[in-house]
Amino acid sequence: MTKQEQVKAIFIEEAGEIIEKLDIDILRFEENSSDFDLLNEIFRGVHTLKGNANAFGFTRLGEFVHHFEDVLDHYRSTKEDVEEHHLELFVGSVDIIKEVMTCELDVLPELPDGYAECLEKIKVLIASKKNIPILVVVETSGEPLHDLASEFGFSCLEQIEAGVAKSIHSHQALQEEGMNLYRIDLTLESDSYKRGFDHILFLNLLGEKAKSLESFFDMENVKTLDQFAGDENAIKRVCAILLTPQTQEEIAENFEFLCDHEYAIMVVEPAITPIVEDIPVILVEKTQKLEKGVSKAPSESTTASKSTIRIDTLKLDELFDSVGELVIAQNFIAQNEEIRSIEDESICRAIETLSKITKKIQDRVMSLRMVAIRDTFDKMKRVVRDTSKKTGKEVHLVVQGEETEIDKTMIDSLSDPLIHIIRNAIDHGLESDSAERIRLGKSAEGTVTLRAFHKSGSIVISVSDDGRGINKEKVLQKAIERGVITGDENLTDSQIFGLIMQPGFSTADTISDLSGRGVGLDVVKTSIEKLRGKIEIDSKEGEGTTLSMILPLTLAIIDGMLVQSAGEIYIIPTLSVVESFRPEREIVHALKGQGEFVSMRGQHIPVVRLSDVFELSSQRIAPWEGILVCVETEEGRIAIMVDELIGRQQVVIKPLGKSLARLKEITGGAILGSGDIALILNVDELRPLSEASHV
Amino acid sequence: MQFDGDLLTIGLDMSMEEIRAFEQFVRPRLEYLETIEIEEGTHLRSSALLALLVSLKRTRPELKIPFLHQGVTTSSAYGTLHWMCHD
Repeated sequence: MTKQEQVKAIFIEEAGEIIEKLDIDILRFEENSSDFDLLNEIFRGVHTLKGNANAFGFTRLGEFVHHFEDVLDHYRSTKEDVEEHHLELFVGSVDIIKEVMTCELDVLPELPDGYAECLEKIKVLIASKKNIPILVVVETSGEPLHDLASEFGFSCLEQIEAGVAKSIHSHQALQEEGMNLYRIDLTLESDSYKRGFDHILFLNLLGEKAKSLESFFDMENVKTLDQFAGDENAIKRVCAILLTPQTQEEIAENFEFLCDHEYAIMVVEPAITPIVEDIPVILVEKTQKLEKGVSKAPSESTTASKSTIRIDTLKLDELFDSVGELVIAQNFIAQNEEIRSIEDESICRAIETLSKITKKIQDRVMSLRMVAIRDTFDKMKRVVRDTSKKTGKEVHLVVQGEETEIDKTMIDSLSDPLIHIIRNAIDHGLESDSAERIRLGKSAEGTVTLRAFHKSGSIVISVSDDGRGINKEKVLQKAIERGVITGDENLTDSQIFGLIMQPGFSTADTISDLSGRGVGLDVVKTSIEKLRGKIEIDSKEGEGTTLSMILPLTLAIIDGMLVQSAGEIYIIPTLSVVESFRPEREIVHALKGQGEFVSMRGQHIPVVRLSDVFELSSQRIAPWEGILVCVETEEGRIAIMVDELIGRQQVVIKPLGKSLARLKEITGGAILGSGDIALILNVDELRPLSEASHV
Repeated sequence: MQFDGDLLTIGLDMSMEEIRAFEQFVRPRLEYLETIEIEEGTHLRSSALLALLVSLKRTRPELKIPFLHQGVTTSSAYGTLHWMCHD
């Protein structure tokens, strides 16, 4: 990657982050449009985006953002209330920014559908609110200047000078710090059109950066048709009053191809504020106001400045690996019999200190990968808002546990599943309208609750709605119709609800563009399983549904149960372990052609012998002589037969070499404290042998 | 450009070529024209059109050009534009 490409990649990443933040902040501002600190925050983001977009030649994005920035600037500087329909425009503008960004990145020639319309609305809004071009600051706006003047016999020149003087006065009143006021006189030659120059062209150029522009055309020299030549400039003089942040040199660049006598730029000095005698009194009042202002509660959006650096996640992964090695080496020292046998207090103390420091480093490095789920939850507010509007259902979103931290890699993969689940909850979970809810004794507004919390060493993210709940009968009926089940199965509630995550399964009577096609929840399930997580559904008809995603804390470390089979150590992810036990002889059965089963609470669970799966040569023992670890898999529960349970431990996952990677029954490896290597089992791929041979 | 009896409706956003064509069109028909109206939402692309409209009005003062009488037009691109004809 060249330096330029690297810089561009950084821009794209930064722009993505800014846009993501904009999306969240704009909704927060919609909720509380008097939060001008937040508006300032939004403005800064848009301003940065504009600069970066223009620097990398994303002109279409740059142009749109430039105008949007103007609108934000107006509201933040005037602190004027933002009308509701304009808030809608703000939200729509962020959507357009997202879409234009995609167009720019994919180098698409066409712009998003709503681009022109939205940009026009923004321009109109600026025009109606600010004193840039279309807004006439001068009191003469909309009135013909020549009427009264001509009545009194003033010449065009005198009328123009009168208009210019008035315009200057009005613009001086508007002049803020950083803004310059100019008077520009254009006296283009008659052949200017033939040379490609036009007054309007220059005004357009000046208008691009202007805060306000007002011009006066002297048409005195325009002749009747018999003496008129359309391709010759007959306009004697044009005088423009320009309020802009640009310097005189920058303005002069617009006219560099004109002859010197064809234009003149004059700086108009700002108006002098009259000094009044009671200034001290005014100052005292201002100070008091400021003091009052200080006591104001800080805005939610105000963040304390903190020093941060951007680090490539690959480097973090490398650091994490190195720390993993350090932990292994430290464990080796701590568990080595020879070292432990040394009866030297200082060595023992040093080993203990090493152990503590190593643990501390491991925790710190782990925390580097962890980020609060707040941003992802904030994004969901937009999803709820949009889905609510689309479906016409009133929805109240409750967010809990936003501070819960989760592995950065997982956060990136969580957005899509969450979006789908939330849309599903609103579109199908909630009742069709408020009237139906009221009839059922519920509040008119549906509630969707988004929660994140820790549970048994895992992270649970749940989406609950207080809607209809899942109709089990309907699910079963659909599942039978589609051949997913035969109908003879004795399914638990959890298994019945789990059916809705089967591919192509949808109980929705209608298909909307939000959900109901049955192509969503199975994708959600697959995405969560890729993160080594699982989904649980709980529902009560008439009361609502909760869909919980149970995820490991991190993708780099796994909480596992260490087991031994035929002298080899394996790790079973604790998340999938239901229970472990030594079975009674009476509950173990072997059926010809179907393998071994263990009967538990009315269920027949197939037994999987690790020694068989990995073809380990060992003395074959009966299941009741070994230990069964019951695990939940995609295909239902299985009982993994092992010789011994060693214990539960957090291990750093190591990728496998090419040859072992082909074994689908294994997801990775781990180096234990003793230096031994243990394989991590992929329980979903463990299958019992078709025939029992020992009994 | 739309010509409906004695009413001619034009857009302000004419290029130089279009202005020349418009001039060629309107010259022989000036006597029959009563009103020239401007399409809403259009903005000047060239000052030559403004000059031509002023010239038409000066040639035939009874011709109604409401736009010209306003003496001012606005656009988000070129701001507020006044003209002084002194007619």
